Amino acid sequence: MKEIILTIDGKQVKGKEGDTVLEVCQTNNIDVPTLCHLKGLTDVGACRMCVVEIEKERRPVPACTYPARDGLVVQTKNEKLEKYRRLVLELMFTERNHLCAQCVASGDCELQSLAYKYQMDNARYPYSWPPLPLDSAHDYLVIDHNRCILCGRCIRTCDQMVGVHTLDFGYRGWKDVVVADLNQPLGKSTCISCGACFQACPTGAIFSKRSAYKGKRPESQEITTVCPICGIGCGIKAFVKNNMLIRIDSPDSSQNNGLLCYMGRFGPLSQEHPRVKTPMVRNSSGKLEPCSMNEALDIVAKKLSQFKAHNGSSSIAGVASGQASSQALKAFKELITGALDSKFLDSLDGDQYRAVIKGISAFQDKADLSTETPLEDIFKSDCILLAGANPFKSHPVAGSYIVRAVRQNKAKLIVFDPTQNVLPDYTTVWLKPKKGKETLALNSLAKSMGGSPVKDAAMIGISQKELTEAAKILGKAKRSIVVYGEGILQQQNAGLITALYKLAAVSGSKTGVISLKSKGNSRSAWDMGIANSSVSVINDLAQNSIKALYLLLADDYTEAKELLALPRGLDFLVVQSSYLPPLVQKADVVLPSPIWTEVGGNYTTLDGVPVSASRLINPPDGVKADWEIISEISGRLK
Amino acid sequence: MAKVKVATIWLEGCSGCHMSFLDIDEAIIDLANAVEFTRTPITDIKEFPEVDVGIVEGSVGNTEEEETLKELRAHCKILMAWGDCACFGGVCAMRSSLDKEDVLRRGYIETESTHEGKIPGPPGVPALLDQVKPVNHVVKVDCFVPGCPPEPKAILYGLSELLAGRIPVLPSEMMRFD
Repeated sequence: MKEIILTIDGKQVKGKEGDTVLEVCQTNNIDVPTLCHLKGLTDVGACRMCVVEIEKERRPVPACTYPARDGLVVQTKNEKLEKYRRLVLELMFTERNHLCAQCVASGDCELQSLAYKYQMDNARYPYSWPPLPLDSAHDYLVIDHNRCILCGRCIRTCDQMVGVHTLDFGYRGWKDVVVADLNQPLGKSTCISCGACFQACPTGAIFSKRSAYKGKRPESQEITTVCPICGIGCGIKAFVKNNMLIRIDSPDSSQNNGLLCYMGRFGPLSQEHPRVKTPMVRNSSGKLEPCSMNEALDIVAKKLSQFKAHNGSSSIAGVASGQASSQALKAFKELITGALDSKFLDSLDGDQYRAVIKGISAFQDKADLSTETPLEDIFKSDCILLAGANPFKSHPVAGSYIVRAVRQNKAKLIVFDPTQNVLPDYTTVWLKPKKGKETLALNSLAKSMGGSPVKDAAMIGISQKELTEAAKILGKAKRSIVVYGEGILQQQNAGLITALYKLAAVSGSKTGVISLKSKGNSRSAWDMGIANSSVSVINDLAQNSIKALYLLLADDYTEAKELLALPRGLDFLVVQSSYLPPLVQKADVVLPSPIWTEVGGNYTTLDGVPVSASRLINPPDGVKADWEIISEISGRLK
Repeated sequence: MAKVKVATIWLEGCSGCHMSFLDIDEAIIDLANAVEFTRTPITDIKEFPEVDVGIVEGSVGNTEEEETLKELRAHCKILMAWGDCACFGGVCAMRSSLDKEDVLRRGYIETESTHEGKIPGPPGVPALLDQVKPVNHVVKVDCFVPGCPPEPKAILYGLSELLAGRIPVLPSEMMRFD
């Protein structure tokens, strides 16, 4: 990029050709106030806060939309500009109902900060006091039109960053407001609840119910770490005050491209399920009653020792959720396969793992997950095959990656799913195979890429035309990526996985496959060998004469039906969990797990990157890290 | 040197600004040596003498407030506004986007504890204006100390500047709207 020289406030500064005047100012640490500008979004010059004077221009111009060029002479600060900026602020304050003293954003508001900076101690213009509604029916977000300055940051964020484009302007002129879809309540719209609009809002016009009135960002401790919930491993900026998480933002630049989702942004801010706060033991009358940690650990250790001594190691099994931290999983593996010497160690999603590995091994010699491709390769691909996934529900940030790849890189999207397509606007072809015919459909697609017509198109539910179109796209691709999710994983069908790999192999010279795993730390559990069991432990308890089961759920709230069917012949069930799912009622001993925010821990992202999540707040009194509890039990075994 | 004569009024507001003024601690002793307070809600004097400085807390929401404000303006050389209500309308202006009749009905008839309510009006009670106004939308105001309430140090800054013969403009770091 060609270097250009400008004179700003009397100083010679460097910029790049293609920069705006604002960008040159920002790279040279020249302070220019902004409101409608947000890094990463296109500039629209709506608010007029960044006005600057440019030699030979008859009037002040917004720096954010003015292209910088060699030799430009710019003035960013003088009395006239200060007057203009104050005037703009007065207009904004009088246009709608900005009552700072009652506003949720007071003390954490860009509009207010600028009013302070420009000493706006009164507003000369007539107040409009428009009667404006407030939409509070969404699960997490409230839109208060009274505080909106129509900067459009939320709209551009929803469109350009998230790719959902739920928000836009509705009506015209005086009646202009931010609307969701065709003026639907936000809670009933296509909103994916990622909260990016909330973070983008410079005032209190969009706020979060879970952060409101808990505290202000400038008055809290800021911790930058990683969210371990879904396995993408998004960077987060958490704000903590008095041992309370008040808000989670996306850091400006991180591996998640400024995105977050409803799970990462809002989930940790309040407890969605009742907690297990103390250990509990089933008493002689069959009721669970609280006990001390020491008692609980003693009982578990004594019972497990007894089972090992009287019934043998193979009467004991351990099953862990892929939501537990790597430290917890490691300690759990040592307890079950080491200290207790049992071969029955599994993860809740172990069957999925075994299908994936079997599927890969039918395709290539190296049958492990290191063959998976980084999720961010979506941005490097010109063709994306999305199979059996609703990313906006399970891995929302991945959904945004796909939309951005389609829009910014002109990548083609093929959706392969018998029932749903959450990205209809961005899909080139939606292949809708009949249920149960997915493998056949993928193989037919691979075949039609070789030029052979498919005879059984009707049987697989996809028309010849669609198959040919998809084959053409895949055939032309230089680099393709297959992203598959729970729709494929839950079938536990190795043949289907093989077919996906085979299809990927024939589409483009460089191809990759990545699975959207069901739990945030599944990859770590799988890599660690937690799911290497030869049998499906939870489904085949009776066939394997398993009498004692230790279930490590950690902060995974699950109502999976195979767990609800427990105890199924078990004599002893230990559940270690943060929450109280119905399953807990069937346990003989319940051990309290902390939530990830209360201990932190190591995790592995779904594409195999080790990350570390920091502790953000303290756990409830007496609650210890999962690995500590498990190690203590190991230590107490006789 | 003759003392500077000051009058203050409390219009539509909560008296928080006057409380914040009383909160300036020991500075009030020096101030009392330099300033003579005439009519204020604190002295409870009703008449307006000619004063150097008039200070107004609260916004203008009814006819009586409008009249009182105009009277103060007529009797003072410099008028200073205290607090968000006077500077911007503040909490009182929450009703401005609503219909006046709806507000009166809700307040005097529909409140849960009211039995057979009646909307009062002139001459006993002054009539509400359609919308609440900041004071500078009614009379000329010379200086503003915003805040809800303004911090005592902001109030003291405003008074000290006036005593030093300058028209105060709050520095950015003293600006507060809450």
